[in-house]
This record gives sequence, C-alpha cells and structure tokens, in this order.
Amino acid sequence: MNAINTDALSAERQAFAELAKDFSAKKLFENREEHDRYPFAELITDAIRDAGVVGFYGVNLPADFGGVGMNAGMVAVILEKISEIDASLAGILFSNAAALEILKAAAESAGETGIYTAIKTLGTAPIAFPMYDSPDEINPVMLSKDGGTIFFGKICNFACGNIADYAVVPVRKKEGHPYSYYLVDLNDKGVTKSAPLVTLGLHGCPMVDISIEKTPALLIGKEGEGALYFRAMQDRMSLCVAAMLLGIMKGSLKDAFQYTNDRYQGGRQIIDWPLVRMMLANMALDAKAAEAILSMACQELDAGVHGWEQTAQAAAIHAAELAVRATADGVQLFGGNGYTKDYPQEKRLRDARQAANLLGMIPLRKVNYIARIIEEMA
Amino acid sequence: MKPYRISKKEKLSLLSNRPRIEEVYNGLECQHRIASNTHKDVETAIAIGRKFNNEVIRPIALEIDRKCMEDHNYLPHEFVRKAADWGLFSLFLPKMFGGGGLNFYAIYPFMEEISSSCAGLGHIVNVHYCGVATLFPSMNMNVITTVFRDVVKSERQGKPRLCTIVVTEPESGTDSQEPLLNQYSKATSNVKRVKGGYIVNGKKIFISSGHLSYWHIANFFEDKSDKLGSWIQFAVPNGTKGFSFGTHENKMGQLACCASELLFDDCFIPNKLISARALDPEFKDSEKGPRWVCHTIVDHVTGSSRTGTAAISTGIARNAYETALEYARKKRVAGELLINHQWAQIILSDMYRNVNMSRTVYMESAATLALRGLFKLLFIKPIHHFIKIMPRWYFTLLTPIMKSRLATWAMRQFYFHRYPTEERNAASGWGSACKYTCSDLGVINSNLAIDLMGGDGIRHDHMAEKCFRDIKLQQIYESTNQVNQMNMFYCLIGSGIPEVEYFK
Repeated sequence: MNAINTDALSAERQAFAELAKDFSAKKLFENREEHDRYPFAELITDAIRDAGVVGFYGVNLPADFGGVGMNAGMVAVILEKISEIDASLAGILFSNAAALEILKAAAESAGETGIYTAIKTLGTAPIAFPMYDSPDEINPVMLSKDGGTIFFGKICNFACGNIADYAVVPVRKKEGHPYSYYLVDLNDKGVTKSAPLVTLGLHGCPMVDISIEKTPALLIGKEGEGALYFRAMQDRMSLCVAAMLLGIMKGSLKDAFQYTNDRYQGGRQIIDWPLVRMMLANMALDAKAAEAILSMACQELDAGVHGWEQTAQAAAIHAAELAVRATADGVQLFGGNGYTKDYPQEKRLRDARQAANLLGMIPLRKVNYIARIIEEMA
Repeated sequence: MKPYRISKKEKLSLLSNRPRIEEVYNGLECQHRIASNTHKDVETAIAIGRKFNNEVIRPIALEIDRKCMEDHNYLPHEFVRKAADWGLFSLFLPKMFGGGGLNFYAIYPFMEEISSSCAGLGHIVNVHYCGVATLFPSMNMNVITTVFRDVVKSERQGKPRLCTIVVTEPESGTDSQEPLLNQYSKATSNVKRVKGGYIVNGKKIFISSGHLSYWHIANFFEDKSDKLGSWIQFAVPNGTKGFSFGTHENKMGQLACCASELLFDDCFIPNKLISARALDPEFKDSEKGPRWVCHTIVDHVTGSSRTGTAAISTGIARNAYETALEYARKKRVAGELLINHQWAQIILSDMYRNVNMSRTVYMESAATLALRGLFKLLFIKPIHHFIKIMPRWYFTLLTPIMKSRLATWAMRQFYFHRYPTEERNAASGWGSACKYTCSDLGVINSNLAIDLMGGDGIRHDHMAEKCFRDIKLQQIYESTNQVNQMNMFYCLIGSGIPEVEYFK
C-alpha cells in the first residue's frame, strides 16, 4: 500500500513510486547504520547527488523550468517510500520541496517567475530551508535600507545549509514589520555556516546555523507576503510530513514483524505472546490510521476539494503523534536490541520524533490550525 | 451506635479487605514504623546530589555524551574517579561495612537528583548500587562483607571498584529475569562444579557499566532442566583467569554508561566467591524449596533495582521539565515570551505534574521496601538506632562475626525462611508498578519538552533530545515495561485470585 492507493495513480506517478522504492533499496539500505553516524562519519553524498540525477529535486518544480511539474502529493509518495528505508534523504528532499513550494506560491501571487532562473542548480541539487521552525519561532534576518542586501542576522536549525548552494530565507525590513522570503547564495562571502549540528534524528540530513552579513539577496514574490507563502507551503508540505512519518512507521512495523517471528523468549516465538500481538496491533492500527488520513488529504488536494488544507494539516499533526508512539513500540518489541544501533528501530524512533517537528512546533501548529478554522467560520 | 462509630473488631475486618494497608499505604505506615530521623538522611542525600550536579555532572554532561558519540571506545574513567573522590560509591553502604551509612530510603531521591542532570553519568553511580542490591539479597555475609569492604577501601585509595549486575545473555533476555519464565530461558552459559569451585563458560551482554566495574555479581543456572531451582550467583572480580570484557553496545542514549559484554572462558571461580546457590542443602531441603527462595532473591533484587529505575526516570522527566521551563523563559514565539503563552503554561503544568506524580509513586515503593522488602531489617527501629549510634570502628571489630556462618544463617532466616510471600509480593509489585509508571511518564515529559522547544528541541546542545534518547532505555531495562505489568498483575492483583493463570 502507498500513502495514495497505487491503483489511483497515473502511470507516471507509479513509475516515480517504484523508482523511489528501488532507489532507497539500492542507495540507502546498505550501510544505513554507518551513514546515521554523521556528523561523526561521512555524509551520504552519493545518494544526495544521485537523487538529483533521477529527478527527485524537481518533482514539484514547474515543467517550464525543467521540473516534473507535479504537486506535493507526488513528493509525498516518494518521501514515504524513501522513509521506509532511511528518512534522512527524505529530509533533504523535504527541504528542497518546501523551498520550491515557497517559490511556487510567490510566483502564483506575484505572477513573476524570474526567481527560478536565478537558481543555477535548480532541480538538480537541494535548496536549503529552515524547515523545523515556522517564522513565528525565528527572528527573521534584517534587510538593509536599499532592499537588495541582507544587513545582518542569524538563522538556526537550517536544514541542508552546508550542502546546498541556495537558501530560501525569511527576512524583515524592521522589527515588527511583516516578513518576506528572499533567495540567498550560500556561497557568498557574507554567509557563515556553523559546524554541522548534532541532532536527534535524520542524521543524514545535515543541519547548521547560518549567519548572514551584508549579503546580496533576491526578493521572492511580493514584499511582506512571506506569511501567505509560508501558509501555502505549510498546507502542501503537511502531506509530505505525514508521508515521511508514515514511511517510518511502516518500516518499523515491517521489521517488528520479522523480529518477533525470529526471536524466542519464554519458550515461544515472541509474536505468539498475546501482549506482543497487542503491541503489533497498535502499531498496525496507528499506521493504518495515518495512511487513511494522508490518502484522504492527497485525494482532496488532487480533486481540489474545499478545505483540503485542513485535512492535510490534520494528517501531519496526527501522524506525528501516531508515528512517535508506534516507533517507540517498534523499539520496545526488540527489547534491549531495539535500543542498540545494530538494529534500525532506535533510528526510526529518533527520525520520527524529528520529522514530527517539521514545519514548526506542534502546539503552535495546533493553535494556528484552530485559529484558521475560527477565522473561516467568521 | 452511630454509623461512623466503629468497633475495633469491625475496623480490623474492614481493613483486611483489599486494598490492604500493608499493600498500598506503606508511605503512611512509615510515619510511625520507621525512625523519625530517617528524613535527615533523605535531605542530606538530596543536597549532596544537587551539589554533585552543580560541580561535577552538569558542566560535562553534554560534552561527555558527544564524546561517546564521536568515539565509541571512550569510557568516562575520570568521572568515576571524581565520583569516588566524593565518596559516592560507598555513601549508601551500611556503616557495618565501613560505608557512609546513609539509609536506603534516601538512595532513591539521590538517584533522581543525579539523573536529573545526566542519566548516563548518573547511571554509573546508580548501577553500582544495583550491583550492591544484587549481591545483598544473597545474604551471604562472608561474600557481602568481603565485597563491600573492598568497595569502601578501594574508594578511599582513589582506585574505585564498582559493582554491577550480570544476568542477560544473547538468547535470554526477558525470561532470564522473570521467575515465572526462567524455566524457558535459552541461556547458553554453562557452569560446572569442579574441585574448589566452578568453571564458567559463556557470554553475558547488556551489562550496565561493565567495563567500568570491578565486582561483577554474575548469575547463572547449574541445571538447564530446572533453571530457577538451580540458580547460582558469583561475585567475579576483574583479573579472574578466563574472565574478560568483550565489546560494549552502540546504543541510543545513556551513552556515558556503557552496556558491556562479559566473556567467561573456562573461568574458574572459587567456592569462597559463591554468594548463593539454590542447590545447597540450606535451600534445596528448606520448607519452601529452592524455587521459592530463588524467586524471593530475584524479587528482592528487582523490587529494589526497579524502584531505582523509577527514580532515574523521574530524574530524566525532571531534566526535560527544567530544560523546557528555562527555554520558555527566554524564547520568544509570535512576539511573546513562550512562557506567557497559555498553551505553553499548560504543557509546563503537565510536565510538573508528571515529575511529582512520578516521585510519589517511587517513594511509595521505597516505603514498601523499607517495611516489607530488601531493606526491612535495617529499618527496624532498634537496629536503625544501633547502627546510627555505634561508630564505624566498632563494626570493624565485628567483621569476623559479620563474615561468620552464623550471620548468614540469621540473615537468611529473616529474609527467606521466615519471610512471608505477601511481603515479597507487595515489595516486588510496587517495584514493577513504579518502574513502568515512571518510565512512561518520563517518555511523556521528554516528548512534551521537544514539542515545546520545536526546532531547538532536536538539537543536541539544548538537552531535550538527550532526555528523549535517555528515557527510552528506562522502558526496556530491568525487564521491559510489559513484563513489569505482568509481574505487577501477578503480585498485586492475581495473588488473591485462585483461578488466575499467568503467561498463558
């Protein structure tokens, strides 16, 4: 099963889903535990590069600019497949897709697409994006008076900041002013990157703090419309958050079935203990519930159903809770072995917990979710 | 007679119904049954823990954790020496063995304290007492005195010799610690009786702090067809011929405290280091039989060690709470200080509640242990006062008596042969109850901290992610929470229901 029923997918979409499955099996499965040691071991640079070769960085990029021209639902299908094996690369694809969604929202709003041409590696390499924090949680960097240069500022928790050439950055003119998004060349001499941060999960998706001083920056869309673009991106990328979490859950459940079949305790296969079956049942139910709501959100997006955004956000927020619980049980079913890095379960728990934080802190997302419903009711 | 007036007979009759006072009100019972100065040790232990946190653990907690990630072979020997300088490895050993003599009621708040700054480093101290609590229930006063006095002496010399508990094997995890499942254990280690001792072959895994310890309190089965009835325990010191360390696990959290492999290759252990043996006539021919005795020893160990596990979980839950609180005081979200958002205040309230509910549960378990479990002898008022009053040199003079067979006989009479099953069940049941309750609450708090801290919550340098990694272990070790649920059912629910069957 996919996040979206494969029968309902077009041939092209199915081909991408299969490609993602094969790619993760060939490029990510082997040495998964070793790759998880970054920043204390090598980064998965081959996989990051090859993901560009097969077109994963251009899935939601308009066809006019060399992309596939599909929506975030298709990105979600790919992320789910990859996350089942190793969610780190999915994190990198997420950062890139989120940045592209900001560009898309800006292009639709301003009717101006010139920004795409400024990105030389468009569709072939990831774009960096502060994907764990909503702009409400960070202090956007400040713009100089002439409007073309970022005066100063620091943004923490920048995903892909040390491997990407470009970043999409929230910027403010003055304290208290609405923010805008700007494109920044990360190779500019005014950009300083911290050493790679040690994080809870998604170790193969590097994160750094970035300081920017007197650096040229290109406005994305219209001045002061950052919040609108963020909201549009958050709606669409919520599908991808849910998909990553679903993939991680499925991987955890699959390995839990295998392990509980192989492991004997108390004189029988542990899968034959009723208590173990109850835990497997809870995991399976959690995964099924996440799949159902994600599938519904994807279908609503495709059909243009009014209110699909609420379903998408509900999918992401709910899947976060389900995935953290299910992957914790995935560790528990392995006992002491589950806590070691010789098995993939502890990584899945860490990855799920980190992916749950995508697009901003969960309580704030809930507060904004209900505020939006109240706003619409009014 | 007015309805609220009640005769003594009727009152006793009503109180004999479940839940009985001796089962669920041990905290209350302690108020009159243990010495009134007991709380002083608790306060001292908390103060020492806090000072140790401020001066030793907190400044290095994240640095050591990161070092362990970077270099798997790194072991925090320097920290062990520092803890020894503070006398922490003998602080809770009774004065009769030359120890600091703080009572065992105080050890659990102490464990909470040092785990609230770093569960990994704290665990190095905590698991030493877990080893102590593994040896102590053997009630072999000769071995106990030898080991404990060696711990005290080595600590004073600046070359600390820690204790650790050795049970798990590659194919025998959960079932090796659960008396009702022991018979199915696929433990592959072998012990063979030879002249003057035993030859041991096999591998033990997940031995907390193994590489940092000296005295390994190792548990095996002599007869594969009757495991519980043939249980045997040795105190194995480093340097024993045929004993060596293997690797240590690459794990998710509590990185400072290694989980070691111990290898026994034709390892000869002399009779003098056998602390308990089920097949000895004393147990084998006893009225209750060797299985009951071994079940009791296991429950003495787990009842006390699981309460410690619960205290550690409470410490981690507290670390998560305190980290989130400090963060909320500084972080601005949507233009407001995070702590001034009502939803954040509610999350912090939940976290505070979880910490304090957690502490209440493990302290109730500690009270049960003091009145009915492993520590009950030491809390009998005259004994408590006698030990408090008499100077250490007095007990040093008594060492030959302490090591005598008479002492072992007397202790085993008290803790085994005349020890009621009901007390065992209360102590063991509460150990399990607090173990799985506190670890679950700790997991909730770690999640809430990351929820509240957002993108910063997943960074190593902000501590919350470390709490998340550290707490997960608490649901697994000292038997998984699921096995603890079953043990609690066995001890506190099923024990009064004759038709009930277990592990079906």
